[in-house]
Amino acid sequence: MDTVANTDFTRTLNRLVELSIDGYYNPYTELQWEEALDDEQWWMPASLLTLYDTKFIDEFDEPQLMKLSKWESIHFYSLNIHGIRELLIEVTKRIHSPGYEGASEFFHHFIGEENEHMWFFAKFCLKYGSKIYPDKSMKMNVAELESDIQTFLVFARILIFEEIVDYFNIRIGKDESLHPVIRQVNNVHHQDESRHVAFGRQFVAQLHRDLIAAYGHARLTEIEGYLRRYIDASLQSFYNPAVYRDAGIEDEYRLRSALLKEPGRTRQHEKIMGRTTDFLIKNGILSEENSTL
Amino acid sequence: MSTAETASLLPKVKAWLLARKPEAGDIEMDLDLIENRLIDSLGFLEFVFFLEELGGREIKFDGDSLHKFRSLRAINENIFGAQ
Ligand SMILES: [Fe+2]
Ligand SMILES: [Fe+2]
Repeated sequence: MDTVANTDFTRTLNRLVELSIDGYYNPYTELQWEEALDDEQWWMPASLLTLYDTKFIDEFDEPQLMKLSKWESIHFYSLNIHGIRELLIEVTKRIHSPGYEGASEFFHHFIGEENEHMWFFAKFCLKYGSKIYPDKSMKMNVAELESDIQTFLVFARILIFEEIVDYFNIRIGKDESLHPVIRQVNNVHHQDESRHVAFGRQFVAQLHRDLIAAYGHARLTEIEGYLRRYIDASLQSFYNPAVYRDAGIEDEYRLRSALLKEPGRTRQHEKIMGRTTDFLIKNGILSEENSTL
Repeated sequence: MSTAETASLLPKVKAWLLARKPEAGDIEMDLDLIENRLIDSLGFLEFVFFLEELGGREIKFDGDSLHKFRSLRAINENIFGAQ
């Protein structure tokens, strides 16, 4: 079965490839870097901090919050690096293999662009934070699942991850009070990601239609449950005790647990996930009645 | 950490795991926690932070760190540093 045998989808892929070529920039030569960035400045808007919309944010003064914004942003770019590694592995496994004939041209651009994203995020982390936060996640073992379910889960996870990241990129990129070096990596990333998200949405919707044809209600509910837990786990991965420690905040483990219980954080998670959950519900991938987000 | 100190940590780890999967009954020292789904990928990070807090230090992650979490015995030796 060719997973992209649909003419609408082929048109989209061709258009995305053209856009990639027309908008190509060389990040190795075109990005502007500073030797150093001052600790005492906002590295991301306060509204993106994991303490935002909770009582905890009032416990800190502006210089402390600025420091937190530095480490939360280095952590955000670190999450990107690890997420990109995983998606590169999965897409590379599939390019030019049976079923992906129609998508392979697009995958070349995707892989090339993601490799560049990983490079500039790593460069930012190492240059201005002298570290990349390690990946402490455990890779999901999907080996025992049917290959069409595996493929759906892989691309759904990539899409969810890219949409969460994009929420941050857009807001950091647009904030004129932030340093141009900070805004630049976020703006550049957002531009490429809008193509990846456009691809991901069509592809995931199609893969899910194939699953509906192949599996019964119980199996689809199981898959939905998995996606919901993946969304929760992704949002929770933003709350890292090591980040709080680097920002000089004590009792970092308890802070993490307390934040995750804050109603304000549930509100922010709903905002971050809003357009993605709308898309997933609209396409019957998540059902409305089970909605906790 | 001394043997006496680490000995007091393992029951807490067991309790944490059983609170999330009561049907497991008891957990033997060498039971494979991953194969038996006492920990899975989506709850793993939570477990890592719980162990860090309990052990009082950050867990270092290198290439393949999963073996450190395979069983209660592995956790006792690799995470809590029991001899
Ligand atoms: Fe990217
Ligand atoms: Fe992407």
